Amino acid sequence: MRTRITGGRVFDPANAIIDQVRDILIEDGRIIADAPPAPGEDVIDATGAIVLAGGIDLHSHIAGGKVNLGRLLMNEDRLLHPEPFGDFCGCGGGRAAPTTHATGCRYSQMGYTAVFEPAVVGANARHAHLEMADIPNIDTGGFLVLGNDDFLLRLIAQGEGQQAVNDYVAWMLRATQCCAIKIVNPGGINAFKFNGRALDLDETGPFYGLTPRRILNTLQRAVSELGVPHPIHLHGCNLGVPGNVKTTLATIGASEGFPLHLTHIQFHSYGTEGDRHFSSGSAEIAEAVNANPHISVDVGQIMFGQTVTASADLMSQYRNHKIADPKKWIGMDIEMDAACGVVPFNYRDTSFVNALQWAIGLELFLLIEDPWRVYLTTDHPNGGPFTSYPHLIRLLMDKPFRDDHLGRIHKAARAHTRLAEISREYTLEEIAVVTRAAPARTLGLRDRGHLGPGARGDVVLYEEQPDREAMFAAPRLVLKDGKVVVVNGEVVELVDGRTYAVHPPYDPLMDKRLERWFDEAVGLKANHYRIADGEIRNGQGPEIVELNP
Amino acid sequence: MTSGASDTDGAARIVRDVVCGFCGLGCDDLEVAVTGRAIAPRRACPEAARLLARTDAPPPSARIAGTPASLEDAAAAAARHLAASRSAVFSGLGADLEGLRRLYDIAMVAGASLDHAASAGLFANLERLARRGWIAATLAEVRNRCDVLVVLGADPASAFAHFFERAMPSAPVPADADAAPLFVPHAGGRSVVIVGGPLSDTSRAQLTRHDVVEITVPEDRIATAAAALSAALAGRATEALAGLPLGVAEALALLAGRLKAARYGVLTWNAATLPPEDAAAVAGAAAEAVDILNVTTRAAVFPLGGRDNVTGAHQLALWRFGYPLRTVVGAGTARHVPDLYATATALADADLLLHASAFRPDPPPGFDRGPVIALAHPGTAFAREPEVFIPVGTPGVDHAGHVFRMDSVICLPLQGLRPAELPSVAAAARAILAALGRAA
Repeated sequence: MRTRITGGRVFDPANAIIDQVRDILIEDGRIIADAPPAPGEDVIDATGAIVLAGGIDLHSHIAGGKVNLGRLLMNEDRLLHPEPFGDFCGCGGGRAAPTTHATGCRYSQMGYTAVFEPAVVGANARHAHLEMADIPNIDTGGFLVLGNDDFLLRLIAQGEGQQAVNDYVAWMLRATQCCAIKIVNPGGINAFKFNGRALDLDETGPFYGLTPRRILNTLQRAVSELGVPHPIHLHGCNLGVPGNVKTTLATIGASEGFPLHLTHIQFHSYGTEGDRHFSSGSAEIAEAVNANPHISVDVGQIMFGQTVTASADLMSQYRNHKIADPKKWIGMDIEMDAACGVVPFNYRDTSFVNALQWAIGLELFLLIEDPWRVYLTTDHPNGGPFTSYPHLIRLLMDKPFRDDHLGRIHKAARAHTRLAEISREYTLEEIAVVTRAAPARTLGLRDRGHLGPGARGDVVLYEEQPDREAMFAAPRLVLKDGKVVVVNGEVVELVDGRTYAVHPPYDPLMDKRLERWFDEAVGLKANHYRIADGEIRNGQGPEIVELNP
Repeated sequence: MTSGASDTDGAARIVRDVVCGFCGLGCDDLEVAVTGRAIAPRRACPEAARLLARTDAPPPSARIAGTPASLEDAAAAAARHLAASRSAVFSGLGADLEGLRRLYDIAMVAGASLDHAASAGLFANLERLARRGWIAATLAEVRNRCDVLVVLGADPASAFAHFFERAMPSAPVPADADAAPLFVPHAGGRSVVIVGGPLSDTSRAQLTRHDVVEITVPEDRIATAAAALSAALAGRATEALAGLPLGVAEALALLAGRLKAARYGVLTWNAATLPPEDAAAVAGAAAEAVDILNVTTRAAVFPLGGRDNVTGAHQLALWRFGYPLRTVVGAGTARHVPDLYATATALADADLLLHASAFRPDPPPGFDRGPVIALAHPGTAFAREPEVFIPVGTPGVDHAGHVFRMDSVICLPLQGLRPAELPSVAAAARAILAALGRAA
């Protein structure tokens, strides 16, 4: 079965194809090299459309315990946003914390075909995978949260050496069927369990006597030596704290040449200047990112309106819980692995802090020069729901539109941002990079994010129109593995996705050590913690991402 | 999936590290001997032993109005009843996640309200959790960190036999670097205070190496005592103390001081066994106490519950529909009205009852307004013969499956112990879906 997409303007920056009218050929779910038309092939006329690979969101909280707690707290939001009626309705809904079916459908409707859950707590991994299996039309994967787990901290504190850490990290990745390592507030979540209320990069944490820097460097070395394609995905120290720009700059300096991904960097780019002791640190951060090619970031743009924040960083969420809106929140210390905190937020353009956060995010997008090291995210749902991406894309691509919105935010915040001076507008090529090519590359997904031979047949046709928000909200056509799943922004077909994992090898002696640890300390058998391949996606098993040599 | 080590002992096959899905505590160190289809528990609490024990007897067949039928015919009959129904109630929901997913699929196709047989305690807790929230801990955190455990209500071991053993082990002698508790400073450092009680002799024996305080409070005064404890922590005057037995107020004031001095205090209660009118108040007072404590030290709640995978049914409802149980789904919508869709209330207006109970032979609630479809344990004794009875296997006995532990974080893999001769709830529900013209 062959499908030819013809007459569209192709943007495939990974293959250096920028705005060329050419055919894309798909056979058996994959793109193949162009060939002369053959009888019996399906022809899709893409005239007037922009042709891109399927969108990839590498940081969006879509599955697992904290998302379910978000759903529990957001029943009003759920009531206001039911799924549309029709054949493809799953009786769900919600905007800030949508149900699994709604998540797959809404992403699919915007032209996304892969989304990564960036905070899988090991103890909750099975739950996260069960939810992912219920998300239609998109491929998924999870990033395992390490760096606050007692087993690891003890290994490091006891000076057991890098090989033992590597074996443990590899064991945990296999056990939890995840595809990358995330660190959330290194050592800080653990410190909060010992009543520590803050932990800066070079501060010594309680009990284990470790600094976040040491934890970070040890895990950076581990993923590098194991060959995990995505570098450490770091939610740094001091999230949301005015003045944290210093910590973030120090963290960039601490990376010792290992590649490092700084996630939702907007929340880590705050200064303390001005009467209100809250200012933008975006210029310094952008300068540091520009100067350090081993650093990549996603922004975690905030969008005005109601949302819920869900994070493993209970230390930070506890600090923020008093500004919950509506006034309710849930915290949890989790199983010697990590924690979670779920706090509803309503970002308002009339609030000085929120308005400046909005501006800081956009400044970062626009001041960081290399689009291959910036990925488009709102840290869904923490900065705003992922359904706001088309609006965000227009803010990046359309200077007058951005200025118009800037004119509406809190006056004092406007005075504290350089946004009006920045004339950059993202090009379609750059949008293709930040939403497709770059996330695929950093995750090591060689058959995604591009339209060359061998790539997955995930192809999106966007109608060319001046209103970029309208354009990216409702693609003319979305193909998933070569099958049409969305037409004119409406879901027409549901397909099963797949789940990515990495399976690095480890010394079998680690099995014995962890059997003992789970038995005696945790009180659960290691065998029951570990997720078998057959448990992924209803027996389909994981899609293994190749390790770097 | 998972495999307990197994070897043979004569004719019997010994299976170790069996995961238990019954009470919600999620013990995974049970041991059984399997001979043919007979199962003899060797290491299990009395409740698990009762529910695991099986004979070699052949299972009953499905029945339509009392007459033996094939699974396909029974499923077709169930589908006909469902298609004719305008107001169906799904009760019980005692099934693994695979079974629940397919039951929820049927509800979406046929339209039905959903509630679990053990959800009363859950909903008492949701009064606090969904409306205001709390700070909770999972089992391993309690096990390793808790230095003062406060039980509000009855002895937890009455419903969760191994609770103290798993949540509050004492430091081993000689010391062992891997053994819980890892973060309690010295072996005698743990306190267990029960407000309510009494503790059973078994529990007392279990806790001999801890400092145990029993503050005896009658069942109908536990909510008052819980409120008095959080008032004492807040430094508030305590009119709430009225009606408490002599000496209890003083004991609670002492307990408040002990919690404030603790490194990691934990408050636990079983909302399902408290008087129904008081359960939400106890949950609220415990969460309040924890809120106050966390300003200066660390503390968490650890709510007990979770029988027959009620936690899984709740989690699945949240990720599928965006609402907890007691929600009606179908025709593309979901409506969550807990007062209306609690099983007992919903049945008053129902024209069909579908009851699922795979973990234990609990009969459906009384219902005579329409047909009853039972996807039930083969040993179920029915008060009246259901219109359709499909006997189903038990997850963790007859087939594999997933269930949530009570702390709602850990999802456990159950394994089949013997050759399955009965369909799982998932298989029975798939057959009904097929008869309804829908692929699962």
